[in-house]
Amino acid sequence: MTAVTGEVPLQGSGLLGQPLDAREDPQLLRGEAKYVADIDLPGTAHMAILGSPVAHAKILSIETKAAEQMPGVLKVATAADFTDVMPLPCIWIPGGVESHFPPHPYGLPGARPVLTGDAVRHVGDPIAVVVAETPRQAAAALAAIAVEYEPLPVVTRADDALAEGAPQLHEAVPGNLNAYWTCGDKDRTEAALAEAEVTVELDLVNQRTINSPIEPRGAVGDYNAATDEYTLYASTQGPHNHRFLLAALVLGIPFNKLRVIAPTVGGSFGTKGYLYPDMALVLLLSKALRRPVKWVDTRTGLMNSTVQGRDHRQHVVLAGTRDGRMTGLWATSYANLGAYPSTIGPGVATALMGRSISGMYDIPAAFCEVYAAFTNTVSLGAQRGSGRAEAAFLMERLVDRYASEIGMDPAAVRRMNLVPKEKFPYDNGLGWTYDSGDYQLNFDKAMELSGYADMPARKAEARTRGKRLGVGLATYVAICGVGPSTRMSKEGMLGGTWESANIRVHPTGEVTVTVGSASTGQSHHTVFAQVAADELGIDPALVQVYEGDTLKAPYGQGTYGSRSYSMAAPAVALTARKIKAKLVKAGAVFLGVPEEKVVYAGGKVYEEGNEENTKTFAELAMAMWYGWGLPHEIEPAIDETTHFDPPDFNYPFGTHVAVVEVDELTGETEVVAYTAVDDAGNIGNPKIVLGQIEGSITHGLGQALMEAAVYDEQGLLVSSDLTKYALPRAADVPFFTLDKTTTPSPHNPLGAKGAGEIATVPPAAAVVNAVVDALSDLGVQHIDMPLTPEKVWRRLRGEAE
Amino acid sequence: MNGRPEQFSAEPNELLVERLRDGLGLTGTKVGCDTGQCGTCVVRLDGRSVKSCLILTASAAGSRVTTIEGVTERGGELTGLQEALRQEHGTQCGFCTPGMVMALGELVENTADREAPTEPEIREWLTGNLCRCTGYHSVVRGVQRACSAARAEIPEEISEGAAVTASAASAASASASASGKEV
Repeated sequence: MTAVTGEVPLQGSGLLGQPLDAREDPQLLRGEAKYVADIDLPGTAHMAILGSPVAHAKILSIETKAAEQMPGVLKVATAADFTDVMPLPCIWIPGGVESHFPPHPYGLPGARPVLTGDAVRHVGDPIAVVVAETPRQAAAALAAIAVEYEPLPVVTRADDALAEGAPQLHEAVPGNLNAYWTCGDKDRTEAALAEAEVTVELDLVNQRTINSPIEPRGAVGDYNAATDEYTLYASTQGPHNHRFLLAALVLGIPFNKLRVIAPTVGGSFGTKGYLYPDMALVLLLSKALRRPVKWVDTRTGLMNSTVQGRDHRQHVVLAGTRDGRMTGLWATSYANLGAYPSTIGPGVATALMGRSISGMYDIPAAFCEVYAAFTNTVSLGAQRGSGRAEAAFLMERLVDRYASEIGMDPAAVRRMNLVPKEKFPYDNGLGWTYDSGDYQLNFDKAMELSGYADMPARKAEARTRGKRLGVGLATYVAICGVGPSTRMSKEGMLGGTWESANIRVHPTGEVTVTVGSASTGQSHHTVFAQVAADELGIDPALVQVYEGDTLKAPYGQGTYGSRSYSMAAPAVALTARKIKAKLVKAGAVFLGVPEEKVVYAGGKVYEEGNEENTKTFAELAMAMWYGWGLPHEIEPAIDETTHFDPPDFNYPFGTHVAVVEVDELTGETEVVAYTAVDDAGNIGNPKIVLGQIEGSITHGLGQALMEAAVYDEQGLLVSSDLTKYALPRAADVPFFTLDKTTTPSPHNPLGAKGAGEIATVPPAAAVVNAVVDALSDLGVQHIDMPLTPEKVWRRLRGEAE
Repeated sequence: MNGRPEQFSAEPNELLVERLRDGLGLTGTKVGCDTGQCGTCVVRLDGRSVKSCLILTASAAGSRVTTIEGVTERGGELTGLQEALRQEHGTQCGFCTPGMVMALGELVENTADREAPTEPEIREWLTGNLCRCTGYHSVVRGVQRACSAARAEIPEEISEGAAVTASAASAASASASASGKEV
């Protein structure tokens, strides 16, 4: 493995930083890209899944005979058919592993079986599957399966699940407590709170939200009996990870007999990195039936089965001085893990949030405790900005509450407490060490760009129109570049988290780059080609990128946590550097000069001081292919691989300013201006990043204003389709005012920091702060999300929450 | 269907999107929800954009249906709208993109003979199409670009409601798509 530490100078031809058009776009615009639902293998049979209609019950019996007689039905299966299949593992167990050899995660408490046989624990919990000739026949046969349930009491909130006498989900987990997890210095924080001049407290609900990629999930299993090989096509953001989890931990088949292919994937935002029962089921049933088996989810199915996000209930406290210096931060959080521990959900709910809670502020004492509990809801997982968004929300709500308490401007309080530039690398006392940053510069830029100083005049003007204008600030640090494998093991991650790339140079000078990562819409083919071409000094049109197929691509963990450009792209760059180093050695032979006289630049090698004596990249490619005259220590051909495991995470950050107008008559909130200044280190392709920043902010506004997974008392997901779960639409958002600052990360050779999801982290806090600001003269100090018109209207009328 | 006659019999409850995807292999039209909310299944029915998950195949009998496959040749030159969306990177995962191209094509055409649609008008028109990746900004910019390009380059005589596409790249391609592909 290649570790990069300290200063690594940027190299390259200057292609990085250029807004190259996405080469994926034409086929997407023509509707030619193939998503999993578009895959149509000969002889395919279709699978439908029977999900539980009730949230909690014992299963007394399952009768499948009638379904088996239905037209077109090929197979009906229940848990009894899969007794030799291991449950789906959870591989992020909060607490950490102090060993080079991880424990085998078989049979973890609460691990999810591929089909449940003893009890159901959330609406949608898979009980049985039907495979039929057509999707309609499969769906119709589900209705003929008779299941007898013995209802059990239901609990849907984490704090309720931990209370005395609460319904119990798993025998092996008494009290429903999956983990009690802490970080920071409890004693110091207690002392800071006790000695403080001022303390402010808030009770916050970070509501559960549904990630809602527009493409539902799907999977096609194709077992080849002749070779005993399995192929899985799935809408996944980590095909290698899914192979690891499925082959080694669930199916118990040799690793080299499972191939996982991610076709074009229609968005994920965190959810498609998880292992779901359907992925194992299509493979098992394909083997049983000797036919390809395909399953495509519905929207309601997705909402009742694909991991959901956020869902913390918190009590948070901030201590400080009368003149605005923060001295202590305490967060107690009840995290709702849902019915089963998802692949990495428990880690998301604990470490990803807890270690981030102090954000961009230099707070001498901080402590976070998380009670992670099982409830009768869909399993919790990651969601764009996961953990970090929850952290920023609590911190930024607290800062406003504190500023209001001491009568200071919220911007002034923030600025006073930013981690000073000279303190980097900065240990935040909660377990992260921030790599680099100039927070003051970033903050000031946002204040200036947003016209923060003019807000009082704008507020007065809005009142003349029956509108209450509010301004809300939020800053954030988003830990990205997950990550350093050893570091992640200490967080409890049972798996390597490095990334790899291979570059193969063909005899005619074209280049194939393969990466272990896999795009869910991040234009990897464009950006990785850009990175390779920049390093090699060649035309990016010569570079083709492949990914998403475990048979063709080198190992890698996938696209999550905004890690493609700060993990996979560095692997590409380092591989290109290996190639350059090799070509310098070989160039000495071809040019007939000593190695130290050979220069690689601009896509060629030449003799230092005598550029006439040169070989182009294409000439070198052909010569290396032939290998004529190469000394024994130089291998012919150009084919190099790098496994990149950085020394530490990277830490993008930024400052967002939301300006809202609240209608006094209707309670409607309109975001009228939004300014964001983000710092993602060195950016490879600003056009791609711009799109991700804009989408991320919109996603965050959705949580603030309209999105909520609502469960009723029986545990039914009420918001189970897109008529009842509101996503931001084009008319809900204005154009944003965006800018950046640039502090390169020292932890990878590109100076990159994560970018894809970072701008999802602060908008919820910025918008809630803005609405509370708009209503502050009414004594409003907090409103829980989502800020629906009705909720705001009630507060305008003086009603309590 | 994309300029070719298609003859088949359909079950009374068959949805148009099922016929397109499963029956005719036109998989550019997508299914993203079950409730007519997401807009990934938008096609043009006699020039109007409709959600093909809300239309029975039988009710489309006798109509001209244009899907994304009927907008451009496979691997061929992009229409003005598509080109503008490409330049603005109005796509990320691309799953919502075909539906957006179909819906926005109607907007660009319908407003070709007047001032360019305003930003609120474009956003309102997009209300039937959900996108989770882009937040719509680049899509709105793409439409603005397509409209201004269309106004800069298209001669007056473009016939009302005739073209399938954004008609922006050239009058020639617009009339080609009207005469050659849609009927």
